[in-house]
Formats: sequence, structure tokens, C-alpha cells
Amino acid sequence: MKTQSKLYFYITISAILLVIIAVWSLNTGVYDFGGKSAFEVLGKVIRGDSGLSLSDKYVVWDVRAARIIMAILIGSMLAVSGTGLQGLFKNPLATGDLIGLTSGATLLAAIAIVLGGHFKQYLPEAVQFSLVGISAFIGAFLSMMLVYRISTSGGKTNVVMMLLSGVAITAIGFSITGFLIYISKDDQLRDLTFWNLGSLAAATWTKNIILTIVLIISYIILIPKGKALNAMMLGEKDAQHLGINVERLKKQIIIMTALMVGSCVAFSGTIGFVGLIVPYILRLLFKSNYAFILPLSAIFGSILLLTADTFSRSIVAPSELPIGILTALMGGPIFIAILVKFKKSL
Amino acid sequence: MIKAHQINYKHKEFHILEGVDVSLEYGEFLAIVGPNGAGKSSLLSVLANEIKSGKQNILFKNKPITAWEIQELSKHKAKFSQHNSNDIPLEVKDVVMMGRYPYFDAQPRKEDLEAMNNMMYETDVFHLKDREYNTLSGGEKQRVHLSRVLAQLQNDIAHKLLFLDEPLNNLDVKHQYKALEIIKKFTQKANSAIVVLHDLNLAAQYADKILLMKSGKVSAYGTPQEVFTAENISEAYNFPCTICDHPITNNPMIIFG
Repeated sequence: MKTQSKLYFYITISAILLVIIAVWSLNTGVYDFGGKSAFEVLGKVIRGDSGLSLSDKYVVWDVRAARIIMAILIGSMLAVSGTGLQGLFKNPLATGDLIGLTSGATLLAAIAIVLGGHFKQYLPEAVQFSLVGISAFIGAFLSMMLVYRISTSGGKTNVVMMLLSGVAITAIGFSITGFLIYISKDDQLRDLTFWNLGSLAAATWTKNIILTIVLIISYIILIPKGKALNAMMLGEKDAQHLGINVERLKKQIIIMTALMVGSCVAFSGTIGFVGLIVPYILRLLFKSNYAFILPLSAIFGSILLLTADTFSRSIVAPSELPIGILTALMGGPIFIAILVKFKKSL
Repeated sequence: MIKAHQINYKHKEFHILEGVDVSLEYGEFLAIVGPNGAGKSSLLSVLANEIKSGKQNILFKNKPITAWEIQELSKHKAKFSQHNSNDIPLEVKDVVMMGRYPYFDAQPRKEDLEAMNNMMYETDVFHLKDREYNTLSGGEKQRVHLSRVLAQLQNDIAHKLLFLDEPLNNLDVKHQYKALEIIKKFTQKANSAIVVLHDLNLAAQYADKILLMKSGKVSAYGTPQEVFTAENISEAYNFPCTICDHPITNNPMIIFG
């Protein structure tokens, strides 16, 4: 009762914070609207004002607003996938990038970009259109299965094995992607560089709609799992005694995180550490109570990535800093902090 | 309540349980005793539907235990495990509240909070409710889990079953007796309990039936008076002992050596 209203309170506060950051972000940038603010232009876009110049509309609606929404969607999903994985592996170091899901997704996406041209015409049209996205999902899923099989036996996760299998998958991904870069043509090369650096610059409304659909599907399944993830801390057998279908829960987390990580990689490349930073900060406030940190990571992930993205496109304006630099700058020290804290138990 | 016929369980080529029969009536307190490695915990795991080795023939309330729906089953039976997790970065009250997870979706109801508080009082951990679980001592952690398991069975369903695997580990004398009192009170309301115990004298004092195990087989089964004979115990434990009457309760009292 009390705890529940506390959760809604935190959700409301952080949602307001997110809106404020979004407003600030919309008004940040080098483009000059001729004295008007970005909000006036946005207002005109929404009202369908005919006096609006095409370039103003393009910058506000198709560049900035689309990019803000994409940062919100991607940040949210990366953070939730991290929190979900940490519940599954019962360890705060489990995130998509550290255990190799991102590399797996990037690898298959890269294969689809470079070699896709050769077999694309044999595939149905819907698959052709989303070939990169589907490959990224399959890549994330396969790496997930591999890591889980290697590192977990009898319901217990060996953290060292989990991280090292991530290292191994990343190494394989790195070498094959390197080879693909070597044999790729010019335009493919540009696409590949984009995957490796990670960027939200390619945001469009079509991508946002697809991401929204993925987000809704996975959140309907994952967000109510806070209690179940708490119970998993007792051990799988005891969670089962509490009426939780452990096998089904594990399958749901594996498929949904692979889906989220795959879609994020497909549309924005590899943006690291979001799934590590957000749950870490939330754990400082709420211990490991997943009933809190799972829903809250959905909003804090958005806040983090949107802030980082706005900085990345404004501090060296008119140029742009790759966003991965900023997230890694925050994530690296946190990674070390977690390692130091778990020094004895690892 | 629960009937198990000819339970066999082996790990690799080693037989851990061989042809064990168990049957328990409503309101009975069954203590499983025996030397280390006799298969006590394995038997409890099999009965509690933890080990799914296929052909186990266990009837819980006249229905095969595997045919029960998991969530429904969790309202009829609960299990206290021997090896409780040491690393649960939550507050004590959150851990106890886990026992109420089968009953609410997002928001604990009034009954859930009541059950949680009552059971924390009963097991004497209420004053620890805001402490972080990881900072507790071994005995306190045991009591927190006892509290959680008991909170799980606070409902209107008749005839519930409680499995406890060495619940007295790490507990001091007062809390050992208190824990057994709570279990006894639970069985007096037509519920049943199957408890793995090491202390034979406590088993004799509280249990209605005793199941003495040795090397994966039942070596004696019956009331404490029937099972606790000098021959039975010396043979099972391979250690000499004398039996006399408890001066106050008249239950058998076992003196080793």
C-alpha cells in the first residue's frame, strides 16, 4: 500500500523530469529558426500551419522530435533489458553489451548488410524490408542462448563464465565484422561504421513506430515481473514454491531481452552501458527490489540516453560526438565500482 | 494429505532413494530423521515436487502432485529449504512479503500486510523488519525464512502442508523450541507438516510420527515410542545409545554414548 504509492510518486516525478529534458533537448541545436523558438515551430507543425517554411518543419519534426522520441524509446528498452537480465542472472553485471548480446546482434546485422544483397531477392517482401532488424534479433537471441547455456547450471550462474563468454562472443563478432568491413563496398562501409559507433542521428518516424510496437509488446510481458524476479533471488526452487513458473519466466526474459536488444541495435547501432548504469543508480536508491527498479528503469533509461544524446550533439556543435563515448565514460567507472564491491564474491 | 508410493531417485548411478513409501494424514506432524546422507533432504525435495525425475507416484490431496497448477499449489503447501540464499539485497519485510506473492498482483492487500506482520511477530523478527537481510546473522536469516514460509500459508484453505528441511539450524535453544511450537500449533489446526530434524529428543517430543531413514531406505516408521528403540537407533546411526522416559513428558529420551 504505502510502498505502492511511493512507486507511483517516483514514476510521476521522473516522468516530469523526462518531459523537461525533452523540452530542453528540442530547443537545443545550431539551426536558426529566424528568431522563433523551436516550440512555436512545433506548435505550427501540429496545427498544420501552411505559413511554415519546409526547412523549419523538417528540422523540428523530422530531425529533432524524431530523434528525441528515438532516444526515449531506445534508452528505455536498453535499461529494461539490462535490469531484466540482471534479474535472470542474479548479478548486477549482466547487461546486453557485457555478455555479448549486442555483439551478436551487430554481427548478424553486419552480415545482413554486406551479404544481404546476394540472397535478398529470394526472401518474402516483408522480411526483405526488415532483414537487418530480424538478423539483429536472431543474433541477440543466439548469443543469449549460448551465454546462458555456458554460464548457468542447476539454476546457479557462474559470473566469471558469464562475463568471459561475453568476451568470447565479442571477439568473434569483432573479427567477422572486421572481415566484412574489409570486403564491403563504400555505401555498406558507411552503414557498418554507423553500427559500430552507435548513433541516434538516423532517427525517422517509421523506425519510431516499429520501436514503439516492440516496446509495448515487451513491456506488457516484462514490467509486471518485478515480484517474480525478487522471488528468483531465493533460488529457482524456492521461487517455484511461491507459485512462479520459473521455466516460463526464464524463456520470457530471454526472448524479450533479445527482441529489445536486437531492435535497438538494428536502429541505433551499439550504444553501450545504458543497461549497466541505470539499474546501478536505481539499486543505490531502492536496493534490489525489482518491483521498483524494473518499472523505474524504463523511465530512467530514457532520461539518461536523451540527456547524453542532447549533450553529444551540442557540446562540439555544429559537429557531433558519438554518443557511445558519453555512455562509456559514465559506464566504465560504474563497471569498476561494481567490480570493487563484489571483489570478494566474484 | 500426501501419499507417496515406492519413491526411487538416483543421481548418476548412485541410488539416493530406494523404494520409499510415505503417507501422511491431516493434522499429522511427521519428523524425518537419520544420519548424514541418508536421503532425508532428497525425500523432502521429491515429496515437495522439486525434483521432476518422471515416474514419481505422489498423490497430494488425492490428485497427482504434478497435475496441480503451480500457483494454486503454492497456496496449499510451502517449503522451507535447508540452504537459503545468503545474498538477498532487500529489507527483511520485503523478504517476508515474498510469502504473499501468490495472493496479490501488484499491490499487497490488507490481509497480506497483516499476515506478514503477524508472522514476523510469531518468529520474533518484527524488530528486524527494516534491517537489510544481508546484515543478519545465520539464525536471524533462518527465522526470516520461517516467517516467510508461514506467511505463505495464511489463508482460509483447509488442510495445508508445510515442508521444512532442518529448520532449527543455527537457532538458539529458545528459538528452536519456539519454532517447533509454531509448527505444532499449525498441525493442530488440521494442517500437516513434514520436518527433517537432527535432534532426536526434540523429534520425540513434538512429532506424531517418525520416519527413520538409512542409506536411502526407510528403516523404521511409526510413533516416537515405536521407532525410538535402542536397537533401531544404534543400528541406523552406528553409535551406541540408551533410551529412558522423559521425566516430564514421558516421551522416549535418547542418550547417546
